[in-house]
Amino acid sequence: MAIAETSDIDPSTTGSQIESFSYDDDIVRKFATATLFWGVVATVVGLLVAVILVLPTMFETVPYFSFGRLRPLHTNAAIFAFAGNAIFCAVYYSTQRLCKARMWSDALSRLHFWGWQLIIVAAAVTLPLGITQSKEYAELEWPIDLAIAVVWLGFFGVNFMMTLIKRRERHMYVALWFYIATIVTVTVLHIFNNLVWPIGWGKSYPIYAGVQDAFMQWWYGHNAVAFFLTTPFLGLMYYFLPKAANRPVFSYKLSIIHFWSLVFIYIWAGPHHLHYTALPEWASSLGMLFSLMLWMPSWGGMINGLLTLRGAWHKVTVDPVLKFFVVGVTFYGMATFEGPMLSIKSVNGLSHYTDWTIAHVHSGALGWNGMMTFGMIYWLMPRIFQTKLWSEKLASLHFWIGTIGILLYIIPIYAAGLTQGLMWRAMDSSGNLQNPEFIDVIAKIMPMWYLRVVGGALFVFGILLMAVNYVMTWKMRPATYEVPVYQAARLSKTPPADTVKEVSDLEPVPVLNAAKRLDVWSRMNWHRRWERLPVRFTVLTTLAVVIASLFEIVPTFLIRSNVPTIATVKPYTPLELAGRDIYVSEGCYNCHSQMVRPMVAETKRYGEYSKPGEFIYDHPFQWGSRRIGPDLAREGGKQSSFWHWEHFEEPQRLNEHSVMPSYAHLLDTKINFKRIPDRVHAAHMLGAPYDRELTEAVEMAKQQAVAVAADIVSQGGTIRRGDVMTLDSQAVALIAYIQRLGTDIFAPPEPTAEELAAAAAELDAAAPESATPETE
Amino acid sequence: MLKDVLRAIDYSDCAEAALLLFLFAFGLMLVSTFRLSANATNKFASIPLSDKVQDPRHE
Repeated sequence: MAIAETSDIDPSTTGSQIESFSYDDDIVRKFATATLFWGVVATVVGLLVAVILVLPTMFETVPYFSFGRLRPLHTNAAIFAFAGNAIFCAVYYSTQRLCKARMWSDALSRLHFWGWQLIIVAAAVTLPLGITQSKEYAELEWPIDLAIAVVWLGFFGVNFMMTLIKRRERHMYVALWFYIATIVTVTVLHIFNNLVWPIGWGKSYPIYAGVQDAFMQWWYGHNAVAFFLTTPFLGLMYYFLPKAANRPVFSYKLSIIHFWSLVFIYIWAGPHHLHYTALPEWASSLGMLFSLMLWMPSWGGMINGLLTLRGAWHKVTVDPVLKFFVVGVTFYGMATFEGPMLSIKSVNGLSHYTDWTIAHVHSGALGWNGMMTFGMIYWLMPRIFQTKLWSEKLASLHFWIGTIGILLYIIPIYAAGLTQGLMWRAMDSSGNLQNPEFIDVIAKIMPMWYLRVVGGALFVFGILLMAVNYVMTWKMRPATYEVPVYQAARLSKTPPADTVKEVSDLEPVPVLNAAKRLDVWSRMNWHRRWERLPVRFTVLTTLAVVIASLFEIVPTFLIRSNVPTIATVKPYTPLELAGRDIYVSEGCYNCHSQMVRPMVAETKRYGEYSKPGEFIYDHPFQWGSRRIGPDLAREGGKQSSFWHWEHFEEPQRLNEHSVMPSYAHLLDTKINFKRIPDRVHAAHMLGAPYDRELTEAVEMAKQQAVAVAADIVSQGGTIRRGDVMTLDSQAVALIAYIQRLGTDIFAPPEPTAEELAAAAAELDAAAPESATPETE
Repeated sequence: MLKDVLRAIDYSDCAEAALLLFLFAFGLMLVSTFRLSANATNKFASIPLSDKVQDPRHE
């Protein structure tokens, strides 16, 4: 039902024709419902993976539900399904009202909605099937990546930009700036981190290798947090918090500084994810420096948010929406203090690979993104369903259960992370590791993992309460929604003249003309004009992000000294390539790193520290970001092939406290030898210097498989399991890959041409002397 | 060839240039923000509070 909302606009003063318009709240309802649905899914899968860690044998016969496959599903669902739909919900509601205009195209809005849901479903299907690129938060394979690009930029980006261009409010409110930064930066990140060489619909290899791949991934990974989980939620905060408090934002100037600081600084900070790795030192230091600089603007934003509630704190005690917002903004402050702290190298040396990072991430995701989303949806419910909220008490209960759930989750996991970091590095007085057995650390933190399950369950329960409230409120909706119709004139192309003062106050003062011009210029009217021009504003934001990125990326890729080559490092054999793909597909990187840092405790535990030149054939890199299991960078040759065979079959048989699930299905599944030439050709295309491998990949793979299988059988393994011969099993390929890990660096160097020539000359010189007596 | 040229460049200068660029742009933004009049910022800050079209809709 259309309701006319008249305005006091006099067309004669604007010189434009009056237009009628209404806001599209149907799309907001769609995204709000999707947010809630995927919020339940993401947190239930999160709870499931938390349970799998304490009960690793729960799904041992179902490979689709292993931790390595489900964890990416959880992270993708939380980021792109739950937070993603929340962002779109916020953008579609607030943009229309801030622009005083309906979204430019209803069709694009719907294409965006359904396209995004389809992408999420595709992710939910492919990730458990082991179809993955293995790059954290960028696991989805290239056809889905293409769909993301089309939906994000083609549908959402175009619709948003056109709405800005057609807006009826002269000034673009700061929330819109945050949305612009989100759209352009995520596009840039997504495209450049996902440049791959496909060999099929479900398999591709990144064009980058090793150090460079790691650098690109964490440039993306960190900024996915920045521009997907931070800037759009700040836009949300700057719109919905003033709305809920019914007060303007505390300091608009601070919000502008907050915006530009994040755009300028965030993009540089990615390398702090790679401290003490084989990444060049300069990049690592740069990442740390800019991460530390992020602290101030982030806290400026937090303070701005909290002070917006000045004079309204009494409302916080009774309004569940404000309660969610206050806790959300507080968690933003905590997470953005902790992030810079974790980027300090010495702190990172302790925290990296431990559960500390997991606690930090969940403090941000549950506390900041979760609470802000819940606050927004509770605020929206009565408005989009045009009725009362069904139960404020239930909303308050959700708030308390959710808050307690977050605390019960993060506090034990902080403790677990510190325990891991300290136990891994603890040395006794004789200079040996106090805890040489990795599994001892796992046994120690197990009680904390149980507590995490309780905290996670509470958080899930809170969302379910919200779902009940949502459905019940929806049921109370009117038979037909009212659609207020507004009237306004289009904006004139030029702003009213009185807003642009181009005459200096220094005119009557006897100073140089240059000073007068400087006075006019420094009024920044030119910048004010930019703020009104969405396309130019977008281009400038993109430039800020791209230039900063290039200053880091170009040297990393072009300076040879960043990745010194090692003569003995050779490309993987065809069978090892197949094994590596299984490693990627099973998501082994979710629990095992492949990066020995140059620290005494690490080299004592794992062996020689990793060098950049060791990873030049790694497409994608497999350094990982946490250690639920030990590092595997030097795993080659540490255990026998039969040990690995048994370990895959039943890890608990070899170590009763192991939390690794059974990979018996790899023993029972045949290698697809026919696909191996594709893998070899792709590796060759990306730089591996293959020769015979290009024509005899299958034969070479089979020969190596026979050798590995013979090794296994000679040590007590069976010749076949059911219908599958050991030499045909996927486990053999994976074992071949694992036995190669970290061994090249110790291989004797092949003699150079000069050395061969010298050796031949020496032989020639020696031969006549030895031969002479006989001939004589 | 482009690769060789880029590789021949001394990137230590570029790092300093980047820092100067950053400081310049950041400084510009700070000056611009602090020169905003209280009247303008109050007006901008109250944009989200009303869904109705304000007229005149300029600063």
